[in-house]
Amino acid sequence: MSFVEEVAATHGGENICACIQCGICTGSCPTAGEMEYPPRKIIALIRAGMRGEVLSSSSMWHCLSCYMCTLRCPRDVRPAELAHALKSLASRYNYRIKGTRAPAIYHSFVSSMINNGRVHELGMILRYYLTTNPLVALKIFPVGLKLLLRRRMPLRPHKTSGRRSLARMVKKFREIRGSH
Amino acid sequence: MEPRIGVYVCHCGSNIAGTVDVEEVVRFAQNLDGVVIARGYKFMCSSPGQGLIQNDIKELGLNRVVVAACSPTMHEPTFRRACQEAGVNPYLFEMANIREHCSWVTEDGKRATEKAKALISAAVRRVYYHQPLETRKVTINPNTLVVGGGIAGIQAALKIADSGHRVYLVEKSPSIGGHMAQLDKTFPTLDCSACILTPKMTLVDSHPCIELITYSEVEEVSGYIGNFKVKIRKKARYVDEALCNGCGLCQIKCPWRADSEFDVGLGKRKAIYTLFPQAVPNVPVIDSEHCVYFLKGTCRVCEKVCELKAIDFEQQDETIELEVGSIILATGFSLFDPASIYQYGYGRLENVITSLEFERMVDSSGPTGGSIILKDGLHPKSIGIIHCVGSRDKKYHEYCSRVCCMASMKFAHLVKEHLPEVEVYEFYTDIRSFGKGYEEFYNRVLDEVTIFIRGLPAEITDIAETPEEKDKLIVQFEDTLAGLQRRLPLDMVILSCALEPQPDAEAIARLLNISQSGDGFFMEKHPKLDPVATMTDGVFIAGCCQGPKDIPDTVAQAGAAAAEVLAMISKGSVEIESATAIISEKICTGCQYCKLVCPYGAISFEEENEVCRVNEVLCKGCGLCVAVCPSDAISLSHFTNEQIVAQMEGMLI
Repeated sequence: MSFVEEVAATHGGENICACIQCGICTGSCPTAGEMEYPPRKIIALIRAGMRGEVLSSSSMWHCLSCYMCTLRCPRDVRPAELAHALKSLASRYNYRIKGTRAPAIYHSFVSSMINNGRVHELGMILRYYLTTNPLVALKIFPVGLKLLLRRRMPLRPHKTSGRRSLARMVKKFREIRGSH
Repeated sequence: MEPRIGVYVCHCGSNIAGTVDVEEVVRFAQNLDGVVIARGYKFMCSSPGQGLIQNDIKELGLNRVVVAACSPTMHEPTFRRACQEAGVNPYLFEMANIREHCSWVTEDGKRATEKAKALISAAVRRVYYHQPLETRKVTINPNTLVVGGGIAGIQAALKIADSGHRVYLVEKSPSIGGHMAQLDKTFPTLDCSACILTPKMTLVDSHPCIELITYSEVEEVSGYIGNFKVKIRKKARYVDEALCNGCGLCQIKCPWRADSEFDVGLGKRKAIYTLFPQAVPNVPVIDSEHCVYFLKGTCRVCEKVCELKAIDFEQQDETIELEVGSIILATGFSLFDPASIYQYGYGRLENVITSLEFERMVDSSGPTGGSIILKDGLHPKSIGIIHCVGSRDKKYHEYCSRVCCMASMKFAHLVKEHLPEVEVYEFYTDIRSFGKGYEEFYNRVLDEVTIFIRGLPAEITDIAETPEEKDKLIVQFEDTLAGLQRRLPLDMVILSCALEPQPDAEAIARLLNISQSGDGFFMEKHPKLDPVATMTDGVFIAGCCQGPKDIPDTVAQAGAAAAEVLAMISKGSVEIESATAIISEKICTGCQYCKLVCPYGAISFEEENEVCRVNEVLCKGCGLCVAVCPSDAISLSHFTNEQIVAQMEGMLI
């Protein structure tokens, strides 16, 4: 399967072949300036078969999901959902993403949610800093301390009931989406 | 006579044989009741294919024929003719559609083959009960109705009238001319649109064979090929066409104004007005929505100044009834309203205008006298032209409107001609310059230093981010070839809007019983081989009502439609469907339900016998009366109960 077919088979990437490279997505994108490969270009690269370049790039992790590109796209390509699809593929194949910590926060958020049924802020943020740069955590330590003292951030997670059902839902969702 | 049936299964190259196992189908058909011979052949519609049938008719004494091939709308007439030539009545033929109904709808060869067998078995059982019918001929009324007085309607009317046959040209607005009259110059030769159109308009007006019926709409159409009856509502003009000499004094003296339709709101006209100075007929019309006499009961200035007493406030709408043999629809297009694309700011931002508004502005006889100006009256220093507005977009129109690329490049040229120092930017996605001389025109516009930017703009805004952007329209886009996200401050933006079907296209399609394609334009009978005919015999289409096209294509298509009509007129008569309804006088109770539902007015009630009767010339064999008859007194030849039940039984093998 070629890369473009792989993307087209991933949830969110279905309409990639309809793109006519008009550029209205990049023109509409508020974070295109941050991206190495803005939306139109990333579609061109996918079609060119540049799998490694695309999946290891940080571009899609800059997407804010404002959906302006999707609203305006004349071909119904849905670039915002394409970004989700690419993030999903990059995670599935454990690509190391340079230049952004966004994947780490995604993973910390999701694992905290699955373990507790809801997000445990302290656990999530600790995991995030442990997997990225623990020294940076020192910078926000005073804020964390204040939150703890005023009981705005619980030390231990509040676990919800029905976590087993949630685990089943997540499992099913991952089956459908084909990701980890 | 014992039925001797021949079955012929077409391979249609690989269209059928690629999916259906033709060999197996032939073996199956060979064993059906009454079948004398079954054969497969590569192309049944070819001359040797038809010869095969004709030969078998002679050699084997066949008296019934079944061809399993494509749709009967495609080749039923071909095979009926082949049978007739070999001495078998054309109605003793039946077609099984194993292409559109079998091989083209599935890749599963097994199931396609099974279905092909069922359809052939049904056709064989049905043809067993077929009766020979006489082909009927009707004479063609040599008069023609042309609906729409744009360049397509004008061209078709003139071509037919030049042959000496009468043409009625019906136009909705007060003057003929259509959209072409609103254009300034025409690409790629830059002929002045009015200069090439107005002579044709005058010819229409003075032509002895053309009856021009303006400010009128077709309301009702009945009848059939060669013999249509048409009702036209002629709207009250409040000016007597026979008396008015077009001096124009009423328009000068009228104190009331309204937005000009012809200048798409850029200019004003009076409440009594002609669409434009060269209007044909040169007779004004009173707009009762803006005339103060109609609103408040006083004024009548026009009446006072008219020396010829042509003003008639008492005039009423009248209905004109016509009898014609054929109808040409040339109802044109309407322009896409870009206000629905919010981010382009049309209607919200000043100096964002449509292509048609620019045409009027740059026309020397237009509202600004040909001066390209902004809302504040100054000349712009930079202009952007956006292609594909409303076209090639799944949210609006998926099709390419075909004229916008060339029209946009023409705009660039006209701007450079009027104001050489102005910067012009063309925002395109793909350039389509496919016509004769079009690519050369593209090169010419490039040489004139028009900047082409490949990228569909994301938005137009008046919110400045830098001092240079202040009081400008800022176009935000990706320059896809440079790979840059850019903002460009401009003074004026022209939106090259899509061509879309007229808002009343659906009503017209229903009136004439023709189809529309998915995009709403009228559908031709065959996109390649029958491009001006429709599914209703005797009704033809020309120009943009069939799909977006430029003037050369429109004129060519109008000529083609005229040729179709003239061919019918010269032939003088046409063969029509022999399958008609028959009412059994013994069973009929005279309830007249059938008369009520008949769409062709073919059924009459006989007072003395108290039974209904079918006029065979008017009957189209639609079968509505058969279905509605409570006493089962009506049968349809070629669709008898016996035939249909046999066909169903065959299907259920």
